[in-house]
Amino acid sequence: MSEPIVAGVAESDLIETPDRSWLDNAAIATVRALEDADLTLEEVDGVAVAGGDDYMPALLLSEYLDLDEPSFLEGTEIGGSSFEHFCGHVADAMARDRADVVVIAYGSTSRTGSGRDRSLEVDHPVESFVRPTGLFRPPGAYAMAARRHMHEYGTTEEQLAEVAVSTREWAALNPKAEHRDPITVDDVLDSRPIAEPFNMYDCCLVSDGGGAVVLVSEEKARELGVPEISVAGVASTTTHRGDVSEMPDMTTTGAAVTGPKAFKQAGITHDDVDVAQLYDSFTYTALVTLEDLGFCEKGEGGQFVEDGATAPGGELPMNTQGGGLSYCHPGHFGVFVLIEAARQLRGDYTGQRQVDGAEVAVAHGTGGLLSSSSTVVLRREA
Amino acid sequence: MTGDVEDRREEWEGPVPVPNGANADFWAATLEGELLYQRCAECGTSQLYPRAVCTGCGAVDPAFEVSEGTGTVYTYTVCHIPGEPGFKDRTPYVVANVELTEGPRLLALVDCEPDEIEVGAPVGVTFWQVTDEAALPVFELR
Ligand SMILES: [Zn+2]
Repeated sequence: MSEPIVAGVAESDLIETPDRSWLDNAAIATVRALEDADLTLEEVDGVAVAGGDDYMPALLLSEYLDLDEPSFLEGTEIGGSSFEHFCGHVADAMARDRADVVVIAYGSTSRTGSGRDRSLEVDHPVESFVRPTGLFRPPGAYAMAARRHMHEYGTTEEQLAEVAVSTREWAALNPKAEHRDPITVDDVLDSRPIAEPFNMYDCCLVSDGGGAVVLVSEEKARELGVPEISVAGVASTTTHRGDVSEMPDMTTTGAAVTGPKAFKQAGITHDDVDVAQLYDSFTYTALVTLEDLGFCEKGEGGQFVEDGATAPGGELPMNTQGGGLSYCHPGHFGVFVLIEAARQLRGDYTGQRQVDGAEVAVAHGTGGLLSSSSTVVLRREA
Repeated sequence: MTGDVEDRREEWEGPVPVPNGANADFWAATLEGELLYQRCAECGTSQLYPRAVCTGCGAVDPAFEVSEGTGTVYTYTVCHIPGEPGFKDRTPYVVANVELTEGPRLLALVDCEPDEIEVGAPVGVTFWQVTDEAALPVFELR
């Protein structure tokens, strides 16, 4: 079975880009990712965009880059996991010879721009049940799920904080990360309260920036001679959208469904996974995703992170670029988990920053208010 | 009647419900102090928010019933940052996900101090009328 190959990845400038639009950032990331793949704009025949401030983002980016009759167009908006979701559609298209070079792109000005993720504020009857409560979204919604998890499983605020602490240890190794100074559990607990049980350091950054991933067919990859990092498994699902009351069980996310499917498609078990890039919009997001993907028993995510499993030197290196908590988070973080997963498999880094001999990576996106889940398994072919 | 209705139209500065479609009956009832939910006569599924179809069997326009207005706190958060216009002076305030005795869950303000609430706490509904068209279900600890 033909699988898409990750031929190139890149970020735009990150953190603050006051003179750029979301589209500029998406386009800059795209051309850098193409350069990384040794490809040109002329060779692109597919575009997949989400999160941009336009309701026809694939058309807009195609126009902006003056693409020549692209045949694959994708703009499905399922929040931060859209980019993982795209990987499955790209695989289907490539299996049917409908595309050879597809760019998955994202751009944002969440920090310095005026339009902060307006997609969360669409007018919908459901909003009449949510907005008048004053719930601060997204943090309050994730916080309610975390509170329920604490109630059911005894997870503590200290354990949630542990996710931020270990993530910061990874960020310290990444020159592109916004925050690199070490923090302690007490620092997290003492930081400004946002939506209990979350304090400021439980919450992701708000950044500008963009990212892009270039997927090519196996045939094209051989032509290019790039390392064969294949999309070996993909699965997506959703549990609810704007009202967390509709989430069937606040302590279990869609990752419990997408993880097993993606693992099965890739023919891997948890023991095969060398590195995990798991969406961390909040400390709880990463913790519950670890459980739902099966890296530890349900309810034991707190203990898992407390024991250092995900920190540098741990058995499951997680969010090795520093994650949304310390590296950057321009709104739809899902594109960045793919980028880092690919870089670890290519062996782009040195020293402690590089996970030794990484061959299998899991990239997981979460979107909305714990609403969508998409899991991608990337594998470096021998 | 499920709960008292307090007129807060003068002081409310937050967002207000927009009654429309399947929601219209729900919001109209709040003005009378009644908390409605839908229960399908075909398959027994209970649901909120109101919809034009039953999520259990697909029956169109499942009937409304009046909730007892009681339930328990499934989970909650204390907002220290206002999530909407008009909430600035309220911080910190409690927003809970309330599991109604009849089954459906509902997001709502809980009128209590942050340190008084806990998961599992029993609550009962009251209403704050915020426009001519709707009153918000707001819960109190019982
Ligand atoms: Zn039914």
